[in-house]
Amino acid sequence: MATLRLDALSKTYPNGFTALHGVDLEIADGELIVVVGPSGCGKSTLLRMLAGLESISDGELAIDGRRVNDLEPAERDIAMVFQNYALYPHMSVADNMGYALKNRGVPKAERRRKVEETARLIGLEDLLDRRPKQLSGGQRQRVAMGRAIVREPKVFLFDEPLSNLDAKLRVQMRIEIRRLQKRLGVTSVYVTHDQVEAMTLADRLVVMNGGRIEQVGTPMHLYERPATRFVAGFIGSPAMNFLDARRSGDVLTLPCGTQLASPWPGEAGETRDTPVCLGIRPEHLAIVPEGQNGGGTLAVRVELVEPLGADTLVHARLDGQDDLVVARIDGIQPVAEGDSLILRPDTDRLHIFDPDSGQRLDDLEPACHTPTSPA
Amino acid sequence: MRYRRRGLDIVSHGLLILALIAFCLPVWLAITAATHDQASLYTGTAPLWFGEQGLDNFRAVLTEPVSRLGTDASRLLFNSTVMALGIACGKIVIAILAAYAIVFFRFPLRRLCFWLIFITLMLPVEVRIMPTYKVAADLGLLNSYVGLILPLIASATATFLFRQFYLTVPPELLEAARVDGAGPWRFLKDILLPLSTTNIAALFVIMFLYGWNQYLWPLLITTEADHMTIVVSLKRLLSSADNLVPWQTVMATALLAMLPPVAVIVLMQRYFVKGLVDAEK
Repeated sequence: MATLRLDALSKTYPNGFTALHGVDLEIADGELIVVVGPSGCGKSTLLRMLAGLESISDGELAIDGRRVNDLEPAERDIAMVFQNYALYPHMSVADNMGYALKNRGVPKAERRRKVEETARLIGLEDLLDRRPKQLSGGQRQRVAMGRAIVREPKVFLFDEPLSNLDAKLRVQMRIEIRRLQKRLGVTSVYVTHDQVEAMTLADRLVVMNGGRIEQVGTPMHLYERPATRFVAGFIGSPAMNFLDARRSGDVLTLPCGTQLASPWPGEAGETRDTPVCLGIRPEHLAIVPEGQNGGGTLAVRVELVEPLGADTLVHARLDGQDDLVVARIDGIQPVAEGDSLILRPDTDRLHIFDPDSGQRLDDLEPACHTPTSPA
Repeated sequence: MRYRRRGLDIVSHGLLILALIAFCLPVWLAITAATHDQASLYTGTAPLWFGEQGLDNFRAVLTEPVSRLGTDASRLLFNSTVMALGIACGKIVIAILAAYAIVFFRFPLRRLCFWLIFITLMLPVEVRIMPTYKVAADLGLLNSYVGLILPLIASATATFLFRQFYLTVPPELLEAARVDGAGPWRFLKDILLPLSTTNIAALFVIMFLYGWNQYLWPLLITTEADHMTIVVSLKRLLSSADNLVPWQTVMATALLAMLPPVAVIVLMQRYFVKGLVDAEK
């Protein structure tokens, strides 16, 4: 149980490559922070720096207000769950879980008691004498969790812990991790590249790109108000559609001639026609029944239909354009490849970004949401 | 077998049996010769069956000073055992520590250190025998166990083998151990050593045989019977300028010299197999 403060944390490797460019973040006690981003965005480096496995080039890391930059991993009082579990192959489950306690000089009887207690918590009682080899992937994952829990650390660090599990088990373990973390109330940092995992687990999400934090916020805040085009494209599945458009006052004009009400009217008195990037989520496109075509719609030709059961994903090309859009519609719509459709975007849920910087152009902070990083 | 043909079976078994005879006959002759007295060995034909001496020759060799050696075979066996164990254990300990340093620690000139160790493969005792002898003599190591063991104790081969094995240990294991509060010694003792038991057993056998079979170095470094090894003594038993070679003594000593290596192989084989079976589970 602890707070974490990351102050301009940077990592530059000896070969001159900068993996992290000054990351600022405050993590509250008991919070589950999920760090998400594409490969090579620096999220794993960040986690390893928190763990003490990677040295900190610049900036400060504090756990509970105490600077820990130069402490060994064991002295930071953290526990880490590795992607491939990193269980000691020659030790039984009980020894694996109790190894950290043994190194701390906890007496054998107490060690045994704590290991058994933790094993009960995560359903490993019957496996304590097994070797890691004799366990399934899910069980190994549990042992790795148990090894972290039994030490009662200040902070849990998870490095893509579910990526080696099959899809069904992943969902199950995800729920279990969430439940355990809430129950134990241990501050946690969880790194993943799976945005569904990120959305469902996080108290707050940190989206990283190119060694920088793009945005920090609750999952729904990031979904509804992505601060940059990158976050907009990364959060949500299928990804947001981006279309080039021009904005003049509060009117957006698409290349096909369609006009939409802009969510952002621009600076007061500004009337100049400016290029913008319009973002529309697939789930905010609806099929307009034939004959009801008013204004503000997109005429498309269907190229591919992906029925998912509850929903159907329609990949379609704008008439007369090269732009592909994806719409997520109700599963029972009779849509076939080659059909012509009229799609209506939900104008209340449009996103507009600066086409050059990728920054969101309308207001960033609706009243109800938590602030982003304190920097 | 992929080909089940009767003719092939017969031929291959015939070859195997021939090879077996070729290997076993000398051993058999040694066993039978060791049970005869000297007179019956000089009748002109090699005896193919046991003589009437029974185990008396062995008893004599083990307990009474053997002529031309000045000591009994028990002493020789003990010397050889000390030397072989010292070399095998020393090589393994040094190789484990050297490989551990090279693989898991970052220090200046690490790569250079590894290659320096590696090129000593090209410098076996036979090549560096003069300077090594000079150093050993100057340090007063002649006729001592330290003198027998120390110059042979460093092993590039074993270091290399352990290095290759350590490189296959997942780095996460080290990281997990660091997070779990294991320092360098604990990591070595609790994680690496238990994982390398199979390698250690294999190397122990190889290095024990290497140490046991040393001839040239013990021959140079020992001048007194007290520190002579059994392998060296065999040659000395045979070198008789004026007398008849006491073949029954030679054979008994040779058989005694064979026993410890055989015992080591037979005993350690069980650990190999255990290690292999465990690994495949």
